[in-house]
Amino acid sequence: MLSIRDLHAQIGVRKILKGVNLEVKPGEVHAIMGPNGSGKSTLASVLAGRAGYDVTKGTAHYLGDDLLALEPEERARRGVFLAFQYPVEIPGVNNAYLLKAALNAVRKRRGLPELDAFEFLALIKGKMKLMQMDESFLSRGVNEGFSGGEKKRNEILQMAVLEPRLALLDETDSGLDIDALRVVATGVNSLRSPERAIVMVTHYQRLLDYIEPDFVHVLSDGRILRTGDKSLALELEKRGYDWVKQEASAA
Amino acid sequence: MSATALSPATAHYREAFERLRPQLGGTASRRVAAMERFAELGFPGAREEAWKYTSLRRLESRRFVPAAPATTPVDVPAAFVAQRLALVNGSPVGVVPASLGGFALGTLDTAPEDQLLRALGGGGTERFAALNAALSIGPLLLSTTAGQQSDDVLQLTLVTTGTGPTLASPRIAVRMAAGSRARLLIDHVDDGAHEHFTNAVLDIELAAGAHLTLYRLQRQGERAFHIERMEVRVGEHATFVMRDSQLGAALARLDTNVSLDGRAAATEITGVFLADGSRHLDSHIHVGHRAIETTSLQDYRGIAANKGRGVYNGKAIVHEGAQKSNARQVNRNLLLTSGAEIDTKPDLEIYADDVQCSHGTTTGQLDPNALFYLRSRGLSEPEARSALTRAFAGAVLARVDEPALARHVHDELDRRLVRLLEVTA
Repeated sequence: MLSIRDLHAQIGVRKILKGVNLEVKPGEVHAIMGPNGSGKSTLASVLAGRAGYDVTKGTAHYLGDDLLALEPEERARRGVFLAFQYPVEIPGVNNAYLLKAALNAVRKRRGLPELDAFEFLALIKGKMKLMQMDESFLSRGVNEGFSGGEKKRNEILQMAVLEPRLALLDETDSGLDIDALRVVATGVNSLRSPERAIVMVTHYQRLLDYIEPDFVHVLSDGRILRTGDKSLALELEKRGYDWVKQEASAA
Repeated sequence: MSATALSPATAHYREAFERLRPQLGGTASRRVAAMERFAELGFPGAREEAWKYTSLRRLESRRFVPAAPATTPVDVPAAFVAQRLALVNGSPVGVVPASLGGFALGTLDTAPEDQLLRALGGGGTERFAALNAALSIGPLLLSTTAGQQSDDVLQLTLVTTGTGPTLASPRIAVRMAAGSRARLLIDHVDDGAHEHFTNAVLDIELAAGAHLTLYRLQRQGERAFHIERMEVRVGEHATFVMRDSQLGAALARLDTNVSLDGRAAATEITGVFLADGSRHLDSHIHVGHRAIETTSLQDYRGIAANKGRGVYNGKAIVHEGAQKSNARQVNRNLLLTSGAEIDTKPDLEIYADDVQCSHGTTTGQLDPNALFYLRSRGLSEPEARSALTRAFAGAVLARVDEPALARHVHDELDRRLVRLLEVTA
């Protein structure tokens, strides 16, 4: 589904990704872990198409197409979803408008008819219940005045509504208390399916207690240094990241 | 000033005035005095501070023909509200009803001339107010009686039209009696067939405890010139509210002068302007706090795109003795494309010590993080930009509490944004 080969990216002259390789197949859940500044969020941003990053080398293919050649909206319409680390507050654009416009953009690309207001509301209510969100939130501005936890829940709500094929979760656990983390994890787990892949970027192992990954990768200084199963995450929790770096440089 | 010293444009309007005089009505001396004042002041020069960002060279180079009294009705856009009167080049066609939409209506035949044609001195638009007083063919007096409460809205559609470039001089005087409440919608349109020049004057007084809401819609075509002088005097515990939407005209200048004369007089002046294409839209607002406990809010949002240019000059003066006054000014501007320009100048002068005043102005572009966020959800770039721009204007448009008008402004904004964002995307 997602195939990243020798990906190099930089901001200005600062090199951040220095040759990332990653294969993600449908149905898999991958966790990308690493110390601060290792390039985790850059990887997610580059895949979603955020401006400001120069890809200097390497490729990323999604369902066989050159992902990096697509506009961000085209990536979204084809089923790539980025849950933001810092969801943006947009006063004056309400949540209902955004959800409906986003859903209909995706449906149009999939050759499905647009949903009318009634169908849309029926769909959204079920998803909001799952995310334990109050309906009043629909008429509020996008993320406007939301707490950190509400913003993250809103990201997963959008994901649940859009039903992406490839979900990229960028530090979705940061800033969440344990209750909010459970709600978010429930939302993500409800979306696990054989057709869908999930790539989680996280600093802490904590999220992985709730969303169990098939693969854990350690990203450090712009490269994936080690890949393992979920036991690798536990080992990282116990021993930190330094031993991975040392072993990698020794190799 | 001798006639030989007049600029060609000024001379043109004086000659036209002489020809038109027999049809104008009212006292000749008042008209003549106004014309002389215009001739004396002439068109503004390039160095005049009040016209620093707005050149009238194009306007001055044209020879608009002052309109004669209209005799036949013309097509006008559908009304937003039930009570509507159309004025053709400033004059009513046919018999003016005695009352409409919460106001009693008077004309030069039935209302005092000193109310209808009084001189409005000072400021950059005094010359045009004088020209208007000389040439206005159908000045209209709207008045209320003490304590009269109306929730109706009277829509005045002011149409500028002609078989060639025409100067229309609509003039409306509003006299709100003590404790009365009314709503008025002034709607500026033109036929779009020629370059026309609308030179409008609104002369408004609110007696103690009166409340007037004025909705203003400027929606002439892309060739129109528009200059307007609005003079408002607000009495004790009276409130003047304006909801302004400037969507039309090629070159427009609106001077809004509000004098808060009585204790606890208040005003709230909010608006949006959309300077797309090559429009030049200039708003000068001047609020004078002349009594204690007076309050004012100015909140304008400007959008400029392509070669459009916006000018906002907001001034509040808290005069000596106007203690416990509150003056707030906000002006936020959005430059949608490169090449557009907005000049903003908020200005506060305070001569009292126990007051609350604030002003803030910003001019910028759409937030790239917000744009990316929306696009990452599948919205196209034009859609995302349009949504953010609508949100920007929406914060002020939310105050337009006349639904059909609000819908029109939103729809027109949408239509124009879609057009200009898809072209530039």
